[in-house]
Amino acid sequence: MALIAIIDDDPDIVEASSLVLRSNGFEVVTANNPSDGYKIIKEKNPNLLILDVMMEEPDDGFFLAQKLKKENIDIPILMYTSVSKTLGFEYGAGEMVPVDEFVEKPISPEELIEKVSNLLAKVEEKD
Amino acid sequence: MANNNSPTVLIVDDEKGLRTGTQRLLEDEGYKVDAAANGSEGVSKGTAKDYDLAIIDLKMPDMNGLEVLAEIKKANPNTVCFIATAFASYENAIESTRLGAYSYIPKPFTPDELLHNLQKGYNQRVLLLESERLKKESEENLLEIANERSRLSTVIKLIDDGVLVINKLGELVYLNSASLKNLNIDKLEIGTYVLDKLPEEVSGLINKHLNRQDKKQKSYSKQIEIIPKELFIEAMTSPVPNPDGNFAGVVVVIRNITELKKIELIKSQFVSMVAHELKTPIVAVQGFLNIINDKSLDVPPEKQTEYIDRSIVRLKSLIALVNDLLDISRMELKTKQREIEDLDIKEVITSIVQFLEIELKKRELTVKTDYEDGLKILKADRNEITRLFTNILSNAIKYNVDNGSINIKVFQSEHYLITEISDTGIGLKPEEKEKLFHEFYRAKNEKTRGISGTGLGLTIVKQIVDTYHGKIEVESAFGVGTTFKIYLPINKIN
Repeated sequence: MALIAIIDDDPDIVEASSLVLRSNGFEVVTANNPSDGYKIIKEKNPNLLILDVMMEEPDDGFFLAQKLKKENIDIPILMYTSVSKTLGFEYGAGEMVPVDEFVEKPISPEELIEKVSNLLAKVEEKD
Repeated sequence: MANNNSPTVLIVDDEKGLRTGTQRLLEDEGYKVDAAANGSEGVSKGTAKDYDLAIIDLKMPDMNGLEVLAEIKKANPNTVCFIATAFASYENAIESTRLGAYSYIPKPFTPDELLHNLQKGYNQRVLLLESERLKKESEENLLEIANERSRLSTVIKLIDDGVLVINKLGELVYLNSASLKNLNIDKLEIGTYVLDKLPEEVSGLINKHLNRQDKKQKSYSKQIEIIPKELFIEAMTSPVPNPDGNFAGVVVVIRNITELKKIELIKSQFVSMVAHELKTPIVAVQGFLNIINDKSLDVPPEKQTEYIDRSIVRLKSLIALVNDLLDISRMELKTKQREIEDLDIKEVITSIVQFLEIELKKRELTVKTDYEDGLKILKADRNEITRLFTNILSNAIKYNVDNGSINIKVFQSEHYLITEISDTGIGLKPEEKEKLFHEFYRAKNEKTRGISGTGLGLTIVKQIVDTYHGKIEVESAFGVGTTFKIYLPINKIN
């Protein structure tokens, strides 16, 4: 079964997302900040990463995604954002932002499962 | 005489009988009359005073009447002069008129002839004076216009807004120095085509006018970034009409709006921060409600209860955040009603400590206080001062270690009442200290996890301190503790 890492500084979001994923048969590891998050990725080598864009600093999640890309850690990333629209960034997946999909919070359980499953399916196709 | 002011007349005649006879006649008619018995006396009187009328005898022993006439006319060109003579000749008549005499009275004259002539002469005098008044007035007006022009041009030269005037061929007609500064251009030459030298956006606005040179033109404006992130301008263009109303050119006003843009940026950053902070707890609560509501997930009852409790905590923090935001905006708008009263700081702090007692006990913290004797009264709003110290003290509790302590020391200097509040808490890293008073800033490190707050408490503290023209200082060592020093002016009331 696929292992999913959730990196978000809001413990309540981590809890709710973990529960939804576990109930759907995924395994979950979590971290509350980018540095712990980096560690669990290296150690557990998850199949997919759910990453919050704003943690200790705005864009923390974004910098972590760039760091992973630089180190050629090729793991699909689903990025959580909450105020992308008000900040004026209309993120789009692409070269500049090495992220596979953006999700504006809040996200419903069905939507979360759907997005995660789709991303994992895409990776399988490539392989 | 119809006129209220009696006309003044000078009679210059060496013949005494005629002189006094004429004088009496005229005085009876309401004239004010002076008489001169010879030419030189006539000159001295006639040049010293601006008479309305003068009757000058042509033949006098000491001086020719024409010389007297010339002198008087030179000094007072508006005195209406008559030459009186028994030796009327064509040449004399011409000569006297050339020298400025109004008319020629042949001697002997009848009273009626004289009065008729003087009346006509007086009318002439009135006309002369009126025309002089008008002339003077119009000269003054011209002077005023000239002054107005130079004043206006000084004003335009000195204002911070740039002003450019472009004619309908796109040539520069006028510029002030601010326009070069605001456009970041070294030089523009008057009389040359400049549309290719101005920023494209500015030329674009000007071209809109030039392309439709009709009378009914609008004004346009545009905000332009001249130097990225450093110089923002607003260019406003309006058509300039000729006196006949036809299109003559365009005036461009260039205003530096860099500061305004900076404030706009700060505002929009603040708005997005607020949006983020408001949205975060809502998202968490919605996440919990979603999973409780989702029957397929089959969340066990004890977990459901936990999620509801956690949701309530998040909603409470949301309410606290909204209240803090409202406080800040109220303070910023100064709509807050301030009630300045005499406050005893010792009493204020004692009641806050009592209010926080439950929290203090939970963490088993001890509070030590040290008040200097003879502390002055503080003139301030009780609610604001209470809020100020409550925020600082509740931070001293939240960021303390269990069994730690809080020291409160109050003393005074010449101008300030100084309150020092130290905790034995987790302290701040130097980079955290800098951001402490920023909106929504909360120190986030390995030791602050699990401490809740709105990130606005110290922002509010800073605002209150600023309101009273006080100051606040922070000293802190990571892992050791933090000391806040609050200076409140003693003699000043906001």
